[in-house]
Amino acid sequence: MHSPVQFSRGTDIGAADEQRLVAEVLAKDRKATAEFVARCADWLYSFVRHRLAPRTEIVEDLVQEALLAAWQGLPSFRADANLRSWVLGIARHKVEDYYRRRIREAESSEEEDSAPQLAVMPMFEQQSDSAIQQERVQATLALLPEAYGLALLWRYRDGKSAREMAQLTGKTEKAIERLLARARENFRRRWNDVRR
Amino acid sequence: MSGVDFEKEFGLLFSGREEASERAPSSLKARLYSALIRKQQESGPLASLDESVALGHAICVFEKLVQIAPVGEKAKSPFFCQVCHARVLAEHLDNPPIFWPHCPYVAFKNS
Repeated sequence: MHSPVQFSRGTDIGAADEQRLVAEVLAKDRKATAEFVARCADWLYSFVRHRLAPRTEIVEDLVQEALLAAWQGLPSFRADANLRSWVLGIARHKVEDYYRRRIREAESSEEEDSAPQLAVMPMFEQQSDSAIQQERVQATLALLPEAYGLALLWRYRDGKSAREMAQLTGKTEKAIERLLARARENFRRRWNDVRR
Repeated sequence: MSGVDFEKEFGLLFSGREEASERAPSSLKARLYSALIRKQQESGPLASLDESVALGHAICVFEKLVQIAPVGEKAKSPFFCQVCHARVLAEHLDNPPIFWPHCPYVAFKNS
């Protein structure tokens, strides 16, 4: 017997428990399914929200997409895998799909723009309080066109190279570099607006 | 400013964003659960309440009434929460006024 319906939220459970949970979800047990949702939802929500902040309006849709994809893929879940890592791997793909779609959609208008001027701009001043600095980064990102914000996050937070971004979006590396240059210019301008 | 400088500068600015562990809203969990159950039902009935009990899961008072009724297995497989007010409240409110023991929607509120 295992403890019913009281979910130990967000914590990793043992491999045997995970296997039991997966088997019961695959057998369409409603209570096991509730436990699966309670566990995965917290993992997915944190992960997706962090990657889309400050634009959070799409978070719940992506969490649902990732959860349903995880459930569909459960038959391939291996006994030696960790459920959390496995589920977040699926979420990572969903988030990247979203980045890719949004950046690709921005393509037509971007291509028409001329290349940005590579003006010599002052460095961002160092903020002693990193929490305040991160709030300012969020506030600045919120003011940017979505494709610019996502491109910056993909490049500088997730560490994707311009070449990888180009491959993933089907754009040329040059086009991605132009997009990033425009995004950086916009970010700098907005950064100063936020300060005021 | 050289390319290397702005790459480093933006890299530093964005690297400080640490992932905070956040709980999903309980209303989201409730909607996810209902959606996943609907998906499971597309390929046939859910496991019956008898099977859930046999696996060691506790069931709510309404499910218990169905489970002890002298009806066949098939009648114990529908998703009874579909017609329960607890589900409706839980899908729309993050602190729904529902308190039934062993109700998954109540558990989402507390999880």
